[in-house]
Parts: sequence; C-alpha cells; structure tokens
Amino acid sequence: MNKKIVLGALCVLLPRLVAAEGLFDAQEFRLDNGLRVIAIENHRAPIVKQMLWYQAGSTDERIGAGGSAHLLEHLMFRGTKLIPGQTFNTLLEKNGAESNAFTAYDNTVYHQLVDVGRLELAMFLEADRMKNLDIGETDFAAERDIVFQERKERVDNNPSGRFFEAMNRALWQEHPHARPVSGTDEEIKHLTRQDIEDFYKRFYVPNNAILVLSGDIDAVTAKELAQKYYGNLRPAGKKSIRSDFSAPPEDFKATVDMKMPQIRGNRVVKIFVAPSYQKQTEDVYSLMVWAAYLGEGETSKLYKKLVLQDKVALNVSAEFNPLSRSYGTFAISAMPAKGTTPEQLLAKIDQVWNEEMQNFDQKAAEKIKRKMLAGLVYMRDNPEDAAYIVGAMAAAGASLDEIEAYEQNIKAVKDADVRKAAQKLRAHAPQVTGILRPEENTDETNK
Amino acid sequence: MRRTNNQTRRRDVALVLILLAIVGFWGCRSKFYGAYKAEKTIENTILKNRTFNASVEEICSPKLGIKAYLLKDSHNPIVSLNFSFENTGYAYDDAHEQGIAQMAAALLTEGAGKYKAQELKEKMEERAIRVGFAAGKDDFGGSLLTTTDHLQEAAQYLNLMLTEPRFDEADLQRVKAQILDALKRQHERPERELELVFAREMYGAHPYGRNPLGQAADIERVSAADLRRFVKNKFSRGNLLVGLAGDVDAQSGGAFLDKVFAGLPADKVQASIPPAETEFDGRLVQIRRGDGQNMLLAAMPAIGRTHKDFYPLFTANYIWGGAGLNSRLSQRIREQEGLTYGIYSYLSLSDKSPLLIVGFAATADNFEKAKKLLYEETDKFVDEGIDAEETAQAKNYLTASYHLRFASIENIAEILTAMQKYNLGLDFLQKRNDYIAHIKPEDVNRVIKKYFNKQLLTGVELGEFQPAAGERK
Repeated sequence: MNKKIVLGALCVLLPRLVAAEGLFDAQEFRLDNGLRVIAIENHRAPIVKQMLWYQAGSTDERIGAGGSAHLLEHLMFRGTKLIPGQTFNTLLEKNGAESNAFTAYDNTVYHQLVDVGRLELAMFLEADRMKNLDIGETDFAAERDIVFQERKERVDNNPSGRFFEAMNRALWQEHPHARPVSGTDEEIKHLTRQDIEDFYKRFYVPNNAILVLSGDIDAVTAKELAQKYYGNLRPAGKKSIRSDFSAPPEDFKATVDMKMPQIRGNRVVKIFVAPSYQKQTEDVYSLMVWAAYLGEGETSKLYKKLVLQDKVALNVSAEFNPLSRSYGTFAISAMPAKGTTPEQLLAKIDQVWNEEMQNFDQKAAEKIKRKMLAGLVYMRDNPEDAAYIVGAMAAAGASLDEIEAYEQNIKAVKDADVRKAAQKLRAHAPQVTGILRPEENTDETNK
Repeated sequence: MRRTNNQTRRRDVALVLILLAIVGFWGCRSKFYGAYKAEKTIENTILKNRTFNASVEEICSPKLGIKAYLLKDSHNPIVSLNFSFENTGYAYDDAHEQGIAQMAAALLTEGAGKYKAQELKEKMEERAIRVGFAAGKDDFGGSLLTTTDHLQEAAQYLNLMLTEPRFDEADLQRVKAQILDALKRQHERPERELELVFAREMYGAHPYGRNPLGQAADIERVSAADLRRFVKNKFSRGNLLVGLAGDVDAQSGGAFLDKVFAGLPADKVQASIPPAETEFDGRLVQIRRGDGQNMLLAAMPAIGRTHKDFYPLFTANYIWGGAGLNSRLSQRIREQEGLTYGIYSYLSLSDKSPLLIVGFAATADNFEKAKKLLYEETDKFVDEGIDAEETAQAKNYLTASYHLRFASIENIAEILTAMQKYNLGLDFLQKRNDYIAHIKPEDVNRVIKKYFNKQLLTGVELGEFQPAAGERK
C-alpha cells in the first residue's frame, strides 16, 4: 500500500535524477522472453563479470524439501544434455574463468569473472544450463553427499552458525526465513531427484531471472549478446513467486539463550523484522541512516557509548538489510566486556537506542548522511562488487532508477523520518534476543 | 551451434533431418549437441583485442628518493597506496613481546599527532580516506585508499600515523582487551585451532610457530613506550616497499610519497630470524575435539618465488590441488566420492619456509577414506606424472585468467608491492604470461618427482578419532 507513495515521490524526483549522476550509470533492458538485463560499464581491465540471478531460493522450496534450491545449485555444475559431465567446468577452466554460485533465501545466483574475450563462452554455457540440465543418478547421489558435508563445514564447525539458525527459527516462526538455506541434515538426506527437477523446471526460466553484465562491455553489445545467447529461451507461464508470507505478529518477542562447549566468551544479538524494498519501503532509507548512525563503524553511537565511554562492550555493531523479497532485518551484535553480563549489555543497547533516537536532530542527520555519501565513487572501481550490489538490489525488487538514485534518496531523508522509523522498529517490530554463552560458566568474563 | 554461413547451416539442417529419420529424436539430439565447439565461440567473439595497459613505471620521490612502482590508471578519481616494511612482521617480534606488531597494527589508526582517535576517524570518514595496517608473518603492511580530492589530507593523516602515533592509554587498554578476547575466541572454531597447532607443530620454537596474535602475558605487559619504540625501530625508508596505483602520475605520486613517508629514518632496520627447520617425517599430530567434521592440514617443503622451479611447481600444484573443482584431488575426493565439500592445496611463500600445503574437512565417517585417497592420488601423481594435455589445460587457465587480478585498484597496488618484494622486474606484468607459456610438461613432471612425496606430508589432524589400540578412551 505504501508503494504508491514511493512511486509518487519518485515521479517528483525523476527530472532531477536524470540530470544527476547515478551510482553506477548502468543500463537496463528486457528481452522478449522476460529476461531482465542490466549492463554496467567499467573499462579499466578487459574483464567482465556475468551474474545470473534466479528469483528462487530456499524460500520457494516445498515444505520438507529444504535444501532443494541449494542442491540444484550444485547440480548445475554437473552437466547438461549438450555439455555433459564435467565439461562445463573444464571449458571454463581452460578459458581462465572464475566460476561459482550461491544460494540464498530468495535467490540462486551463478557467476563468472572472465576475460572479455571469453565472455561469449560463459554466456553460452550459462544460457545452456537454464534449459538443458541433465541430472544423472550418480551425480545426484555424490552431490547430495557434498552438500551434506558443506552444511557440516559451514554450520556445525561454526558455533555462531548454529546460534543464528536457532535465532532465526525463534524469530520467523512460520515464515520461510525460519528454515536454513542449506536445509537441515534430515531434509538433505531425504531429497530426491524429483525435488530438484521440479524446482528447476518451475523456476529456471528467463522471465524469472536477472542477468547482470559488469565490466569491459557497453550496453549495446551487452544487449546484442544477451539476445544472442538468452533470447531463444522460452519463458514459462505465470509463476507464483511468493512474497506474501506472514511475519510474526507485531510486538512478538522471542528469546534464545544458548550454551555451547566451543564458546569462549559471551555474545549478544538482537534481530528485528524490518522493512525492505518490498515492505514498508518508505522506511528503507531512514533505517539505512539510522543503522549507520547507531552502529556502523567506530564513530557510531553504540561504539562510542558502550565500548569507549561505559566500557561495557568489546565490540558492537548494527546492520540493516533491506534486501529481501518479503521482510528485511535490522540486527545488533555485541560482545560484553569483562565484568558485564549479557543481560546488562542488552539493557545498555536498548538504552542507547532510546537516548539516541531522541538526540537525533537535523544536525546529526546531515553529518551522518555526509559520511554515508563520501567515497561513493569507490563503487565504480571493482566490476565484481558493482555486479553484486546491483544484482542483489534488483533481485530484491529495487528498480534501476532507485539503485542509481541512492545518493539522492539518502539526501532526502529527514531527521523526523529516522526517529519515527527507529521508534516503530523498537516498539512494534517482531524481534528476537539471543545470548550465546560458554558451556561452563566459570570464565572470568561472565562474572 | 554457431555457424559461419548460411550454406553450412542449410547443410546441417538437411543432415539433422536425415539423422532424425534414422536414429530418432533422442539419438539425433545427442549427436547434434555433441557438435558444440567452444573454440568457435571464442574465435568468433565480437569482444576481441581488448588489452590492459599494464605498463608499470618506477618513480622516485623528489625529496626523499623513495622508490615506488606506479601503475597509472585514470578511470576513476581514486588513488590506492600499498606498502610494507620488510622483516617487521610478527615473527620478528622480540621473544618477550609476542603480539606487539599486531597491537601496533591495530593502534596506528587510533589517533596521531594532534588528532585523538575519534577525531582522526571522523575526519577520515568524512573524506572517505581508508587506512589499514596488518602484521603478517614476515612483513608489516599498510594500505590507503582515497579519492584524488583528498590526496593531501590522506598523506598528512597517514604520515602522522607512521611518525606520531598517539597510543593514548584508553585506546591501548581497549585494544589490549579486544586482542586478549580474540586470543581466547580463536579456540571456538576448529579451523583456527588447527592452524595454531599446525604452526607449532611445523616450527616448534621458531618464530613461525607463534600465535599470530601473540601471547597473553606479553600483550598484557606492552606499554605505549614499547609501541613507540616499535614504530621508531621498525619503520624506515630502508626496508620500505611501495606500490601506487590510480589517478596519479610520476610527479604528483612522487610528491605524495614524500609527504606520506616524511620523517621516517633512512636506515634499514637490522633484523633477522633463523631459517625454519621442520622435520618432514609424515607425522600427523592428533587434536581431539568434537565439531561437525574432522580436518586435516599438512605440508611438504617447497621453494621460494624466485627459485628456478617456481613456475613448474606452481603449475604442478595447480593440477594437484589448486584448481578448485578441476584439481585431481577435488575430482577424486569431492566430485567422484562426495566425501568432502572441499579439498585444496596451495604454495605458501613465507620467506623462511616455503611450503606446499594441503587441507580438507570431512565428517568422521568419511575422514579416513578421504585421507587414504589423498595419499593414493599423491602417489599416482608422482608415479604417473601429468601429460601434455593436462599441462596445456593448466597453462590455458593460468594465462587466460591473468587479467582477472586487475579488477580492483587496491589489488593492483598490492601486486606492485609484491613485484618488488620478489624482484620480478618492472616488466613482469607484460612478461608473466610468457613465463607460463614456456613451461613444458617435462619440467612439471621433473618438479613433481622432486617435491611431491606423501611420506613428507606432515601436519595436524583434528576431530573425533577411534582410540588407538591399547589406549583408553
């Protein structure tokens, strides 16, 4: 319902935006089959990053088939009817490509960094595996074992990985963010080839993907090549990419208090369900400003008050992530200093939030906005970073105009908007508070 | 699938129709698909003849005579400076001051000259000037990123950090507490614990065996005066290597360097550590702890960057375990058997102990089998060697991926510093692919026989193990 307001604001701003320099000066077009293409020019080195963002991730899995999106991501490297077996990998290797992929809640992303002379090969191969994937039984079994090992490596070898999984379960309840992207151990073991094929057929179509080409390529050539390699892929009918999952109710508060034998010192984390580019979009830029002011870096208020002044924390930081098809998150993490309990630190964090919300005036707003906008030109340095940022924002539903107008959108934030957004989040957003402690409470830091 | 002209396309269409009639749709499809030629795509690409202007010049600052490698790149109004003070890394810390290099690295950005920590950070943030320091094993490194608008202020702030760091007591105590905490938390994650024990096992009392963060008791003792002495004794123009990249030329770059490094003593710091003596007897020391997986980290002796065997050995490692999914170890242990998410190897080029390192993680039920296959593949590598095609494939990758390293200006500046450290020459960036091109399969096979030997693979394994015979659980 708030989309209209934002659209209205954009219309007013638009004439100004056209004249202003964008963040990347990228160009966007759509092929007839619905594939969205974004080209970002950067001619320093003769290299291009190709990223293909499918709008499908763990969020879109059948209940009980957790890990399908991720296992499919792995199997995409195991051959197609045209490029069988390991040929995909060996062809890219011979041609000096760095090729990889990742799976997230809302997206599965395939990417290659290549010498520009090999870009067409990478595009050919990426387009081919959108339609010709061939999953063999042996490959399926081996790859299911591999993703099981990956889960062990990423989550079970990392105590805070387990902690964050527990927090997400407690916070998100019925929402798909409650489930780990990798799937659980049991889910992975029980995945079938059919699960993977269903997911592939349903979601891996051009009208459900965004292609980003970033580097030594102009938009005209990017369009020509996108048409050449991806233009013949057939779109699928209207798919139901859901984003209407319900969040936990307003005022919902959960607590996770966990002990693990590996842990050597306490830590505390607070996560709020927050606005995103899709939900309550009017608060997105206000909360970016709030996160920067409150907890990004060592000149932020939380750091100043808790680490430098009161010496109750060793570290503290805040992070706002509005990149989601449904809800975003606003998170604060901290490590208590000697002599401070996790509970005391959590109370302090809340206190600083409250005080600073009231202190946040126009002067404070202008100062933090200046900092946020300093050095935007660095964004134009690395074509890999640019591809990632633009792709992630576009996949989360931001239009290219919105991505380009970051500077103007931050500048437009008023101090009153920030106070309001921060207050709304603190008072009403569903939230989880987590404490991770050593198993034996004998450590001196806990006294 | 890509055809060069209409005539061949028509001919192929006719051929396809005949085949369709004979073998049916599926047979035809695989036949037709089998015709894809990647070389054609590359040969016919419209994105040809793009090059990177990799000309590096050596500049000399007018006042202090500081030499630096410069790569001018004016695509963005950005300047990246990378530098290192040789032989001042954590392995060179005084034996009773283990951790002081790391502390200095953390504290140099905490206020300098008249600017207290917060004031300095505010100033840098508002101007998007980014400075960082890191104490490596051998060298102490620093980097600066700035827009050209603020080049002068950037030089001034960095110069103050290098010559007049404040080390205010409150900052010192805070950073101490943070490092002491990090020291404890190293044991939270199995891979960190593995690395620490690995270093101790490989090097014993040699400084390379130290914890990179230092020793708790030493860290507690370090005072501001100690840190000032560290800076005064370790940072000089004599042990300085500098790489400069971005929108800056010889003249403005030279003036910038004079400003950044003004006040540093000219003399080279006299410091040395003995050669590392590791016994490579194939032992794997066990650490017992329960996490998700067991892990292995082991090494064989290797050679340094300037040794004549470097390029063939670099290639051999690439084929053995360096090539990601395509390496022999990955193919066998991950892709075929599904025993691990990743197995990797790399050449570690520390000054006193170049190593060929291999590592992997696997659940306890897969671990012994994966280890057995690692040994088997190593034996096979030595016994059978590699063929011309495998060498060509590796060389193709190493050559064709060459430009990827120029993706970021900071990376370019870092390469310029490394070129000087290893005496690779001003024209290295132009010549590097020729060095690769000259590698012959017989060179690679020679170094495989010379350096690879499973009986030398020495290191650490961590995880849950069956008790040895006679041992009580």
